Amino acid sequence: MKKKLLAMALVTAMSLSLVACGGGSDSGSGSDSEGGSASGEAAASTGVSITVFNTKSEIQDQFVEMAEEYSAATGVDVEVYYSSDTVAAHLATRYSANDPYTISMVDAKDVYSLGEEHAIDLSDQEWVANTDYAISVGGKVLGFPVCIEARGLMYNATAIEAITGEEFNPDDYKTLDAFLGLLDQLVAGGMETPTGIMKEDWSMGAHYLAEVYEEQPDVEAFITSLHEGSADLANNEKWNSLMDTFDVLMKYNYAAGSPVAAEREVSEQKLAEGEIAFMFGGNWDWAMINAYDYSEKMGMMPVPQNTSDGSNEKLVGGGSKYFMIDSSDNTSAEQQQAAKDFLNWLVFDEAGNKFLTEDCALVPAYSNINADALDPLSISVKAFADGGNLIENYNYLPDDHYSINGASFQKYLAGQVDRAGLAAEIESYWSSTTPVEH
Amino acid sequence: MDTSSMSFKCRQFFMFAGITTVTFVAVVILPFVYGLYLTFTSWDGVSKQKPFVGLTNYASTFADAAYWQALGRTFIYSIIAVVLVNVVAFILAFLVTSGVKGQNFFRAGFFIPNLIGGIVLGYIWKFVFNRAFVALGESLSIGALSTSWLATTSGAMLCLIIVSVWQYAGYMMLIYVAGFMSVSADVLEAARIDGCTNMQSIIHISVPLMVSSFVQCLFLTITRCFMVYDVNLSLTNGEPFNSSVMAAMHVYNQAFTYKNYGTGQAEALILFIVCAVVGVLQVYIGKKAEVSA
Repeated sequence: MKKKLLAMALVTAMSLSLVACGGGSDSGSGSDSEGGSASGEAAASTGVSITVFNTKSEIQDQFVEMAEEYSAATGVDVEVYYSSDTVAAHLATRYSANDPYTISMVDAKDVYSLGEEHAIDLSDQEWVANTDYAISVGGKVLGFPVCIEARGLMYNATAIEAITGEEFNPDDYKTLDAFLGLLDQLVAGGMETPTGIMKEDWSMGAHYLAEVYEEQPDVEAFITSLHEGSADLANNEKWNSLMDTFDVLMKYNYAAGSPVAAEREVSEQKLAEGEIAFMFGGNWDWAMINAYDYSEKMGMMPVPQNTSDGSNEKLVGGGSKYFMIDSSDNTSAEQQQAAKDFLNWLVFDEAGNKFLTEDCALVPAYSNINADALDPLSISVKAFADGGNLIENYNYLPDDHYSINGASFQKYLAGQVDRAGLAAEIESYWSSTTPVEH
Repeated sequence: MDTSSMSFKCRQFFMFAGITTVTFVAVVILPFVYGLYLTFTSWDGVSKQKPFVGLTNYASTFADAAYWQALGRTFIYSIIAVVLVNVVAFILAFLVTSGVKGQNFFRAGFFIPNLIGGIVLGYIWKFVFNRAFVALGESLSIGALSTSWLATTSGAMLCLIIVSVWQYAGYMMLIYVAGFMSVSADVLEAARIDGCTNMQSIIHISVPLMVSSFVQCLFLTITRCFMVYDVNLSLTNGEPFNSSVMAAMHVYNQAFTYKNYGTGQAEALILFIVCAVVGVLQVYIGKKAEVSA
């Protein structure tokens, strides 16, 4: 009898777990996490519901909260989803399942590759006039810029001032010579290793190496010459100038003994707490620095270079993360309208502005939005953006560029190839790669 | 009723195996055939169009040096890991069936690593290799430990092998334990009366009688090692400088990160064929060696 009972219990348990596995069409991919969906309990529920795909993990909580408030205020049901998958790969599964998100947050390159087929034309929207960063493909505005992000050298002024005893003004260290002087001063003052280097392939390949292209006088012509094999990288002025700076960062790197083992978390913590003073990165790094006991005075400055082309007075960056609205038959006209309304709300409604700049601490890409409550890195980025001192991102790098060249760059960091060898590897990558159409 | 008629046989088959057959076709056969079709297209993984390109993907697979390097690396990794996993598992199984005190506790203990998912395991061991060992090496000034193993090409491979052994040895141990238990006490006793030493009775009596355990264990470890992805991703992520990218990871990158879905699928197919050949060959040879008491 007992055995029978036990068997019954087991059968029940197992069939229940089967049901749990099969239940719900949304429980498919493991890394999806459905953010809370706002129930349409608001009195004025319109019956329209839209889905938003978020790819910035650091703002997911704020996004879910905002969605609830937005639903309550407008009666439009907003569901927020997040995934850490590769954006295009994740969206592909949704497209092939005929279940696309109404609004998807994607990277610039995805707007170019997916936009024409999957996004609606936003050219007639009011916000287009208020931004310099919208992405147009074939004469149609398809991408709504979510924020501005830029790359440069992050610094910890508190730590620097504690040693030098005088106020740190990044403008004094535009040239590599001046920067080197400061580093030596820091070393003499007791900070033995004042820099850190993120060894991640995306940081070195897509961010640092990309500056070599982006700071060329004619970027497109330079990329073309790389494809054709006629660019002499080893003797290129920007290449050598940026690599000179990289050599200095390498020399003073806290992890110089084993640089490819440096973990990003550790490096960010050291920068935040003032154990090191400089690291190449971008304002997205705040999401990590934020997790530690960070110093009061931090910011971002251009990568110091011995150059007179002005690139050492500018950060590199621009619009980052774009919203696209789905154009397929799976998204109704009402949903598309609701999605457009939502984008307008972000730009023109006070609550929407507050969500972008205060709750998520993003640098706004729209001239009408004021932002006073930003984090220190973003304050720097905004100052450079407002002053027109951003060098544009180059958004047409091939998909495998960061991985393959990032790996070559790691070899250089580990001392396995010299500068000429690295230049040769990068040149051979480009000459064997088909150009990205745009 | 004619029990030899075709319709009767069909009905019998579908009554007993119908649901399984339908499921198997739906989740294994159809995706496989569809995947095969995709290898003849230049689909980027996202677009609506899937242009037919014939054998271009296979040509680019053969031209993809990084893929063959990854495959070669996977071979080396698999051979070392498979041998070590099985040796360790066999020794553990012997120890926990030899009647030591608390052997059930030890069995459970050795099995636990297998219950931790590969992703989590990778992160735990990354911490151990990058921080714990380095801190230990620095404080005791042991040169080999003072820099992270994960930072060197061969070190990263070694780390992958260590973690795989740690992960799978417990699982394989269970199969070997079952093998040891299945050897009847009579034959062992007879061997002892005939004057066998412990070592001799293991080699000449136990091992031949538990060949089926070896076949199972080898099959499981070989296929798992060839397909390794999760530990690879969380422990090394292909670093340093893409020197620890295994075949499965290269396939994923090719298909999804570099957006060459067709080529990635063709490479996956080749990986599948390699695995299938090695696996089937090993089972075939193993089965021949099986004896019964």
